[in-house]
Amino acid sequence: MKSEKFIKTAVKREKENVSVISDIINRTKAYYCVECGKCTSACPLSRFGDYSPDRMVERALLGLSVKPDLRIWSCLTCNRCKELCTYGVQYPEFIRELRSLALEERERGICAHGEIFSVMKLLALPHENPQKRLYWLSEEMKVQEKGDILYFTGCLPYFDIVFRDLEVHTVEIARSTVKILNKLGIAPVVMNDEVCCGHDLFWSGDTGTFKRLAYINIQNIMSRGVKKVIFSCPEGYRTFKLDYPEFFDLDFELIHISEFLSERIEEGKLELKPLPGLRGRGAEPHSRTDETVTYHDPCRLGRHLGVYDAPRRVITEIARNFVEMASTRENSLCCGTSGWTNCDSFCEEIRRERLRECINTGAKIMITSCPKCLIHFKCHMSNRKGEYDIEIVPFEVFVARAMGLV
Amino acid sequence: MGERSVLVIGGGVAGMQAAFDLAEAGIKVFLVERTLSIGGRMAQLDKTFPTNDCAICILAPKMMDCYRHGNIEVLTFSEVISVEGEVDSFNVKILRNPRFIDEEICNGCGDCAKVCPMGILNKFDMDLRVRGGAYIPFLQAVPLIYALDREKCMRCGLCKVVCGKDAIQYDQRPEIVEMTVSAIIVATGFDALDPSSITEYGYGRYENVITALEFERLICAAGPTGGHVMGKDGKEVKSIAWIQCVGARDMRDNRPYCCSVCCMHATKEAILTKEHYPEVETYIFYTDLRCFGKGFQEYVNRAKDDYGVEYIRGKPGEIREKEDTNLEIFYSPSSDKVERLEVEMVVLCTALIPSEGVEALAGVLGVELDEYKFFKLKDPYNFTETTRDGIFVAGYCQAPRDIPECIAHGSAAASRAMEVVLGGNRNHEKSQ
Repeated sequence: MKSEKFIKTAVKREKENVSVISDIINRTKAYYCVECGKCTSACPLSRFGDYSPDRMVERALLGLSVKPDLRIWSCLTCNRCKELCTYGVQYPEFIRELRSLALEERERGICAHGEIFSVMKLLALPHENPQKRLYWLSEEMKVQEKGDILYFTGCLPYFDIVFRDLEVHTVEIARSTVKILNKLGIAPVVMNDEVCCGHDLFWSGDTGTFKRLAYINIQNIMSRGVKKVIFSCPEGYRTFKLDYPEFFDLDFELIHISEFLSERIEEGKLELKPLPGLRGRGAEPHSRTDETVTYHDPCRLGRHLGVYDAPRRVITEIARNFVEMASTRENSLCCGTSGWTNCDSFCEEIRRERLRECINTGAKIMITSCPKCLIHFKCHMSNRKGEYDIEIVPFEVFVARAMGLV
Repeated sequence: MGERSVLVIGGGVAGMQAAFDLAEAGIKVFLVERTLSIGGRMAQLDKTFPTNDCAICILAPKMMDCYRHGNIEVLTFSEVISVEGEVDSFNVKILRNPRFIDEEICNGCGDCAKVCPMGILNKFDMDLRVRGGAYIPFLQAVPLIYALDREKCMRCGLCKVVCGKDAIQYDQRPEIVEMTVSAIIVATGFDALDPSSITEYGYGRYENVITALEFERLICAAGPTGGHVMGKDGKEVKSIAWIQCVGARDMRDNRPYCCSVCCMHATKEAILTKEHYPEVETYIFYTDLRCFGKGFQEYVNRAKDDYGVEYIRGKPGEIREKEDTNLEIFYSPSSDKVERLEVEMVVLCTALIPSEGVEALAGVLGVELDEYKFFKLKDPYNFTETTRDGIFVAGYCQAPRDIPECIAHGSAAASRAMEVVLGGNRNHEKSQ
């Protein structure tokens, strides 16, 4: 009897899931798929590994199970397929909702860094013992507790510690941003009680925790009377701009630092000079070089939000020799991993290809505005010492250097 | 009311057919064409499907029939700028752009073009050939009257010196002609979409990615290369791939409709290539082969079986140019893995969209367009009636259709216009 009952519930659950999958298909317009294979032929993962977005959709449309397929955790959600799909299938959202479904059944992706990042989300929740999130601030930086403009730091202080061995120095991004804003006469609000924006949780399917984090962040920001939030992290920017409004009403403006700076340049309020000695700290700081520079579009800032011109506007003001890589803007190659899951040899191949594209341009500096792109490329390069003669520079650090701030 | 007449806007194959039918029925027609010559898009084509007939050979006699017809007055280089009144008496104003050459005097000898030192890209040849500042768009242009491109010409005055007829008039001004017509037929046709915005295929960035209309000029014996299919470097290409539905059936830019002709014109262009060069490899990337017309499926079968054209299902996701300018196409035929195909030339079968300026014209006419800027029908069972009484529509500007369908549509619109002109019981009905 007992086993019979169990089977019934199992069947019932299976049915429920089927209806949920059909809801996902409806919501993400997966039913428009004509299996033309355009997504697969451009997907960075399928180029190097065994992955096919339209086969996943096809399975779902045929009513076959898509859950046991670990591949739902492989997708980079880089939006390349969504950008190319002429039929309007929202594949990244399709995957995100499938992950939600899988998570309910306690299936999850393989975290490429042990469990550090699942601990991090707990660290990012409010604690009895307040954390020292703002350890990176120094005396000369002007910040406020309340004000019009807030700088959302994101995970930078955590990454700096977790990836210390890669020498990514992600807090330099935060420091540079504050220094640039100070130079423009702005003392931004920074919050010690800021919590994780929830991007990785949301894209791993954990919508519940994501909503809690979003609520805390919005409360904290609103209580400070903030009118404008500036981001240096494209993931945080995307999450605030596209995902928070799904659940909450925001009454403050959102802007990426590259957009903010490009506006100031247009207004004539920011003058950047071509940079003497573009290469890293210590390397011939005073001799004028015309180092070739290129820019890597992070998927969140580029394809997800369509911000392509603003960073280029700022960079070309500084670097006289700006070149584009073979794949650029909406056709950009991804950095190879998202949400810290399923990093494998195929992802390494994507990074290798992207860095090769950079080398082929003759550029010695690749600028990116995403800390995760920075981490992923640096990780790839650190395992292949001497193979790459290029430097990956965060956008904010690049600008701060040009302004003589670091 | 005086003489009862009809205005036809657009001198392409649909407009010409409508004008000719009306004229044959004894009705006076004003045929207004924006460019220098009637003929429209069909004049640009090398051959037509599914019979491989020479396009201009069929079209040129029709163009002459129209131009010479006693009941048709052809107004080229002209645009409709105002329409007032209503059915049975539309007061129309037409702007006649200056040719700077007297239409009455010019006999089309071409001496002015021979001496002109200018080199200007010819739009008719899809910018693949250079013309002078004094020019006709193509050899078979009707009317055979030259025009001066005063915007781009350097005003050296040579043409005036050589013109034996003294037809050059540098001081010619735009002129507005007014007329009263009973009915109007709109047949403004289509433009090919500029595929530069579809960045994954690299049009405008890669040398040997071209559009189907450009290919049409290349393969045409009277075209810029004399029928030689060559890349930008002047070498004849050895392998060509066509990609269909470029910008069509595309929700990204709100163009979900099928253009209805590109399955067939890609097939035609591949067959023509094979006829010129049997050794050239030809590939067609299709989404769904839509061979719905008479003889269409047989045409595709012939392309496969007799000519060896290879059809591949799938939309390529990316094209990359290699160092030797060869193009690497990434596609996924069975959704399983990514395949690569290297070719020397890629032809994009771009979406066909309603002609430029169609919104302004719709405003002038007071008719509605649909969400894709095609002319809207009043009801689906009257497929030539626009939303305004007495204004009819013919050809591609109403919906995607091929040449025979455009001709049939032109005739259909003409017959409805005839009802207005000859019926004469419209006002009678209203007064009852």
